[in-house]
Amino acid sequence: MAQQTVDELARELERLREQLAEHEQAATLQKEQLERYAADLRETFKQERARSVQLADSAKQLQESYMATVRALSNAVEARDAYTGKHAERVAAYGLEIARATGGTLASDPQIEFGFLLHDVGKVAVPDAILYKPEPLSHEERMLMERHPVTGFEILSDIDFLGAAKDVVRSHHERWDGNGYPDGLAGEEIPFAARVFAAADTLDALTSSRPYRPAMGMDDARKIIAAGSGSQFDPDVVAAFNVVPDEVFERLSREIA
Amino acid sequence: MSSIVLIVDDDPFIRKLISTTLEDVSGFQLIEAEDGDVALDLAAEQPPSLVFLDIDMPRMNGIETCRRLRELPGAREATIVMLTAAGVEQESEARAAGSDLFLTKPFSPLALLRLVDGLQ
Repeated sequence: MAQQTVDELARELERLREQLAEHEQAATLQKEQLERYAADLRETFKQERARSVQLADSAKQLQESYMATVRALSNAVEARDAYTGKHAERVAAYGLEIARATGGTLASDPQIEFGFLLHDVGKVAVPDAILYKPEPLSHEERMLMERHPVTGFEILSDIDFLGAAKDVVRSHHERWDGNGYPDGLAGEEIPFAARVFAAADTLDALTSSRPYRPAMGMDDARKIIAAGSGSQFDPDVVAAFNVVPDEVFERLSREIA
Repeated sequence: MSSIVLIVDDDPFIRKLISTTLEDVSGFQLIEAEDGDVALDLAAEQPPSLVFLDIDMPRMNGIETCRRLRELPGAREATIVMLTAAGVEQESEARAAGSDLFLTKPFSPLALLRLVDGLQ
């Protein structure tokens, strides 16, 4: 009887030992499996990280391609209009400075710079005889000339990446008081970027020489723009323009010459 | 000179798991310690940038180890991440001892990876 109990206990012990060994084996396997998971996760993480670096590079390249394309288009417009020189580039640079001074995020949006550079793209459809006419334009001629913002908007309409740039092109001749063209928008109906542009455009026009008049100094140009505050220009934009020092515009003008 | 990540846990499997997760991810050198004393010796020789520190360890616990690590000139600036299976009641104690972050076991391996990656 006692012998039988001892034998039974021994068998039971042996069975428990085997069970323990099995469990240990299973646990070891689970740990090894977990390590494989950790290793694979690590490799996936590294691949994802490399991919996001590639993606950022691609996005940067794409942005540079956009900019190059916009510049090419802008240069094509400029090439026709000999005396304005690098007007579009200067206006874009002035406009960005004024945009920065407004304190918003406008200046960091590349579409805004695209819009500034392309504002006159619609002039490709204006006949030479009108574009270069030294005398004042007739009513019909002016109608044709004043169509260029809409023409520009239509030329660019299928280019998705331009986004808000197209609104700048369309509305760059609007006036704060509603007397501009092509849509006669007033006040805040005019896209903000176009309102900023209007001041930059006038600044460049006044401080560049023309066949019929010499370039104006900064003091005089500022007086004229201040006089247009609330009529031609958004008063907030003029206020922002006023805090940008002369030296900033003068430096940009030298750099872009 | 490559930066050092020190992994301190009395459970060899947890150390292995952490080092497997982080191995060669960011050019860090991974070193392991099985208790607080070894951790302090290693940290004195090779000042770590990042320490993963288990709270529940025999002899010197993680909170005491953390306090002493902070007394070492080389580990004063290290990011110390406490690992624990316990609830949040130890968190304020761990913070008082100079730890920066608190991860509860089972910790997220992705959180470990992001931590190490972010230290670059």
